[in-house]
Amino acid sequence: MAGVSTKEIKNRIRSMESTKQITKAMEMVAASKLRRAQAQVDSARPYFRILSRVLSDIIKTNTDFESPYLTAPKTGKTLYIAIAGDRGLAGGYNSNILKMVYEKMAQSESVVLPIGKKALDFFKARKADVVSDAYGVAEDVAVGDCFTIAKNVAKAFKAGEYSSVYVCFTNFVSVLSQTPDMKALLPLQPEDDGEEAKKSEILYEGGSVEVFDAIVPEYLGGILYGALCESRAAEQAARRTAMDSATSNAEDMIADLSLKFNRARQAAITQEITEIVAGA
Amino acid sequence: MTPFKLKIVTPDGLKYDGMAEMVVARTTTGEIGIMAKHMNLVSPLGMGRALITVEGKQRRAACIGGILSVIGGDVNLVPTTFEWAEDIDVKRAEKAMTESKEIIAAKKDVSQTELKMAEARLKRALVRLGVAQDK
Repeated sequence: MAGVSTKEIKNRIRSMESTKQITKAMEMVAASKLRRAQAQVDSARPYFRILSRVLSDIIKTNTDFESPYLTAPKTGKTLYIAIAGDRGLAGGYNSNILKMVYEKMAQSESVVLPIGKKALDFFKARKADVVSDAYGVAEDVAVGDCFTIAKNVAKAFKAGEYSSVYVCFTNFVSVLSQTPDMKALLPLQPEDDGEEAKKSEILYEGGSVEVFDAIVPEYLGGILYGALCESRAAEQAARRTAMDSATSNAEDMIADLSLKFNRARQAAITQEITEIVAGA
Repeated sequence: MTPFKLKIVTPDGLKYDGMAEMVVARTTTGEIGIMAKHMNLVSPLGMGRALITVEGKQRRAACIGGILSVIGGDVNLVPTTFEWAEDIDVKRAEKAMTESKEIIAAKKDVSQTELKMAEARLKRALVRLGVAQDK
């Protein structure tokens, strides 16, 4: 105890207090952003679900045609669309998803389309093959951008540049739980819901292949947007949790330091009294 | 008329979920009307007016992009944007119309993509205004 002066402890307490204020403020900002993101996820989910449903129904009931979107080309690279955040201090949010993508990427010849500043920096630093750095700010990516990405990806897939396309995002399970997830976009696979679909005829207004080709980019754009909404909500939830535990850690340390401070103060007083008494 | 199950969903949320008697929507190849017991159908949507008949009453909406599907008698309208006539922001549409017209008029100063975007924006604005003002 004697080694640490009261002044030193006091300084540490003060710095801890200001750190606590920052983490507390960040937690509250994340909480309010989370509320908005959560509302967005809730409104986008039915769209996400019905869109997958419709496409999967089409594929299952289809008897009429072959589409380049349904079969994987033998050549070409694997494209990973990696969605992460723009800022750190969100617990394991960024590193979990990016590590997963990076591991997958090592397994085959692949390229990556990063969305979000952290994703872009991560893949650039590791010299991965980055398709485009146009989506470096995840917060600015709008619905329209998702459809633009989808159109370009669909075109490149049809041209045989990619053998498969995956979107990697963080699933917003709940406020306390977010899991990194990966979904295969292309080639298209029907949802496996255990139902054996009866093959039936579908009328394609405007020619089956044309219709299918027009619908696929719409579908991809919708799925991409849904993944982005999930990721955004997950990011805020992860940040909120991380900042919450940082705040309570700071509180623990302050309590601990206060105790030490009081002990040191008392020791000093006792020592002084002993000296006076001894002198008298 | 016999009603059928209709779902209208956009990225902004579920716009309608219930029974309807008739749906008229603009596909890329022209307007199409769906009534109960329609055969399976899939079509991409264009830009235009959609008419939904519920309990004898007709509702208008601006419906842009996306997919229309009829599978097993259930109709799913999955547009990129869908606004009921009464929800359309007329002022915003008018602003979009004048702004995009200006861009198109100043043809030489803008790139091809900007021009295309302005044209698409103008079209959307015109659809919205048409639906909102058509009494």
